[in-house]
Amino acid sequence: VIRGIERHPLVVVVGSGGVGKTTLAAALGLNRARAGESTLVMTFDPSLRLKDTLGVGEEAKEREVEVEVESEGRFFASLLDARTTFDRLVVRYAPDDRARRRILENRYYRHLSGRLAGVLEYMAVERLYEVASEGRYDRIVLDTPPTRQALDFLEAPERIVSFLDSGAIKIALKPWFDRKGRLRAASRLGILGRGLESFLDRMVGLALLRDMAEFFQAFEPLYAGFRERALAVQELLRSEKTCFMLVAGPGSEKIADTMFFARRLREAGYHLGPIVVNRLHPSAEAGELARWLGERDRIGLEQLRMLLPGSELVSIPLQPRAPNDLSSLESLGRLLPD
Amino acid sequence: MQQLAKRRLIVVTGKGGVGKSTITAVLGSALSRRGKRVLLLEIDPRESLYQLLGISPSSGEIVQAAPRLFVQNLRPRAVLDHMVREHLRIDMLTDRLLASPVYRHFVEGAPGLKEMAIIEHARRLARKEYEAVILDAPATGHGLALLTAPSVVAEVIHDGPVGHLGRKLAKVVADPDMCGIVLVTAAEEMPAQEAIEFMEALDQRLSRAVELMVVNSLYPDEPGLFKDRKKISEKELRQLYARFQGARVELPLLPLDRGPALVTALTKFMRSER
Repeated sequence: VIRGIERHPLVVVVGSGGVGKTTLAAALGLNRARAGESTLVMTFDPSLRLKDTLGVGEEAKEREVEVEVESEGRFFASLLDARTTFDRLVVRYAPDDRARRRILENRYYRHLSGRLAGVLEYMAVERLYEVASEGRYDRIVLDTPPTRQALDFLEAPERIVSFLDSGAIKIALKPWFDRKGRLRAASRLGILGRGLESFLDRMVGLALLRDMAEFFQAFEPLYAGFRERALAVQELLRSEKTCFMLVAGPGSEKIADTMFFARRLREAGYHLGPIVVNRLHPSAEAGELARWLGERDRIGLEQLRMLLPGSELVSIPLQPRAPNDLSSLESLGRLLPD
Repeated sequence: MQQLAKRRLIVVTGKGGVGKSTITAVLGSALSRRGKRVLLLEIDPRESLYQLLGISPSSGEIVQAAPRLFVQNLRPRAVLDHMVREHLRIDMLTDRLLASPVYRHFVEGAPGLKEMAIIEHARRLARKEYEAVILDAPATGHGLALLTAPSVVAEVIHDGPVGHLGRKLAKVVADPDMCGIVLVTAAEEMPAQEAIEFMEALDQRLSRAVELMVVNSLYPDEPGLFKDRKKISEKELRQLYARFQGARVELPLLPLDRGPALVTALTKFMRSER
């Protein structure tokens, strides 16, 4: 059994939407910084309050921003933004200025790169690779994107590799269009070819296909790197260096969600660390609703204990208010395991 | 509710965890009790509407939950494949296309296609078999992606059936008379902030507003534990209502498990709209 967060330089915080992942990730990061470590917390979608609490703004999309804390360790925060990371990747890895411009000015890239399904997850993988390989931090706490299936992120490296290894890229890389912008296959195939060309033109428009073909070709020098980094991140996520902190909502009706995450993580060979049951209602004597909530959450916790023997289960009571400064964030962090 | 009842297509959005599916079930049960034939559409591999209505899972089929109330769990890919099949009309070619890995990757990666197929599916059913189709959209960020998908596709693809469908659906989604939007939120910081961002994005990108805001799971006015929470929720409510003056319903947190009893209890509160 893997125990103790302090043994793992990378902590990935997972759980369904709305359970308080982001705040707990920040609290954990601050905690580790107070313990003397140089810590980075990477997050996707922090609330305004959390950004205010940490004192970071839009600039954290571009680079890691240091949060002033009184401790021996240092505390950094960074916000993940798909578009910014994508642009930066292109700038960093394109072989020369011409290739760089070719991608950045491509119409398909400009319109769609930020909106492609899964881009946020791919970019999180790239960003994680970047900071992990630089090795500037003792510990990285990674908050995962706010999807219901928050495990999409973990599958992103595999999807990148499978996409690059599939025939899709090879086909996209063929010189589909001649210099006049006509479909090559069409001129070779005679009447049938012209039929095909007009069919495609009718369905989606040749202009779009030309932009897409151009986009995939412009990206060609970058594919090998994408693949390599995706594999490296996949390995990192499965290694002993990484542990997963699963955040769960209280109450028996959230048990199915929690069990789903726990099972998926274990089956896929990741190291499941502590399971944090957040916002537990205390037992109450007075008030029908308060009694019901307290009882519901107590039973939920008992059931989880039975269903997940051998896991470290940490419960965090419902706080009177959400943390709004570093000291209240730190108090919350103290409730988390080391 | 009065205004909403006139729409044939209703999209329910909100941040994950605020009770979107519960509200979808509540709206469906309210409208079907008024005598309308209603279909609830869910897009989630892990179904939850069936639990709320006390029936067995849909597994992709349309199942009946109550008199005039039906549920379907949509498989986006199946809906999209169906749309492609209809447009190609050549079975042999279509089968080969649908089976090819290149098509699979294109569909996975191409923005907006799956979302557009879902809206088209809902629109068609709302035109004929059902008087109201209520779509339980993915959590806010993705809910916006769903609603803006047709205009994104129309922006990039100008001609042909796909571009044409994009333009047609973009009009449907942007027209409050054709498509009602319900925003579910909680009086807590993150959900409230996301709700405000959603309304701003909706205004910016589709020049429209939501028809109904449902504030779910409000703590009661009781001393002790709930006092601090109540203070927070009042502050968040003020901020929400400063930005939204349309129709809204406040629903209490009830001592009931997720299920038919909760849906029935909340349906009664829907009349308390302001």
